[in-house]
Amino acid sequence: MRRWIWFLIVVLLGVGVGLLYGWLVNPVKYVDTTPAKLRSDYQADYILMVAEAYRAEGDLDLAARRLAVLGDSPPAEIVRQAMILAAQIPYADSDQELLSQLASALQTWSPSAGGAQP
Amino acid sequence: MREERGHWYLLTGFVIGIVLGLVYAWLISPQQYQDTSPASLLPEFKAQYRAMIAAAFVATGNLPRAEARLALLGDGNVERALTEQAQRTLGEGNYPLEAQALGLLAVALGQGDASALPTLVPSATPTESQSSSASQSANTEPTSTEITLEVTTPDVSTTPAPLPTEQTPQVTRTILSTATPLPTRTPTVTPGSPFVLESNTFVCDTNLPNPLIQVIAEDSSGEPLPGQEIITTWEGGEDYYFTGLKPELGLGYADFLMTPGVVYQVRMAGGGQTVPDITPAECETQGGRRYWGSWLLVFSRP
Repeated sequence: MRRWIWFLIVVLLGVGVGLLYGWLVNPVKYVDTTPAKLRSDYQADYILMVAEAYRAEGDLDLAARRLAVLGDSPPAEIVRQAMILAAQIPYADSDQELLSQLASALQTWSPSAGGAQP
Repeated sequence: MREERGHWYLLTGFVIGIVLGLVYAWLISPQQYQDTSPASLLPEFKAQYRAMIAAAFVATGNLPRAEARLALLGDGNVERALTEQAQRTLGEGNYPLEAQALGLLAVALGQGDASALPTLVPSATPTESQSSSASQSANTEPTSTEITLEVTTPDVSTTPAPLPTEQTPQVTRTILSTATPLPTRTPTVTPGSPFVLESNTFVCDTNLPNPLIQVIAEDSSGEPLPGQEIITTWEGGEDYYFTGLKPELGLGYADFLMTPGVVYQVRMAGGGQTVPDITPAECETQGGRRYWGSWLLVFSRP
């Protein structure tokens, strides 16, 4: 009986060591993820890129398509979340202004029939 | 009778525990699938991210920021990745502007400044401002700058610098022989065109297996001009491509693969001089072997 108790103890000890190694020391490295899984600050930077390009191109459909890779939320909501993060980090005023301009434009945007390149 | 089994059962239990722990940690409940970095993106999304960086660069002219963003993708050779994607995009033919942006960014990285941008020029004195990009929070991006964009137009009042008497293309290929090809061509000059055809050479080079239209765009001082759009038309077709997408052959270089039997017209975008009647012609080695020659067109902007 005592042997079984010791056996269970070392099994549990081994499980603990295995979890420690598998979660902390050598966790699973993810590859081939999608933009929606990016860390929030990377997502915010991507959205800033969209805003920068939008200012020069003025193509709202294109901007919305570029934002669509970040998830199913409405584009305006995606930009709004980025604005919140941009204010926390904080981004430069000019960059926050770019995000604000894009968000404002997207407020009244609705998907058009015309295609735009991604 | 007492059975002596020692303490091996403890080691066995420990190993079983480790295996169970690893199975749980790696397979059943691996670490959260969130908060990944751009380097872990699927190749297609990486390409989209890269294209977005290029589009933002073309829009702002902010090269340090573009470099910092590209670093997040973890490409071994950033310029090559950009160039290859530009060529792929160009080959697909759907998004020429995206290809141009990628090419311009590759060229700008090669030159170390944003002068590759043909129409967007940052104002001379950027204003230092606070950190802007998310990536900067991890000290990966330099301080952002505010850049005012101006649209430039060619200064027609300046006196063109004298053109070199002999063009020396940056293409590393050697013209083995120049020959008079079968078609005779008379270039038509379009008045007021920004580019002028400087030379037009039929190239016989056994190292070029396919008939190419090779274009080199230069400024008045002979410096290569990347990002220049070239329009090639033929009966029932048209194609657009840009200089600088093969930087290893020169920043002002571009080429187009001809189809035998088709007659092409080539011009630089923006109403430039049109070169008509470009068609594949054959060359012949000393041994009598025939192969396709190429056309080398050098355009200069006065």
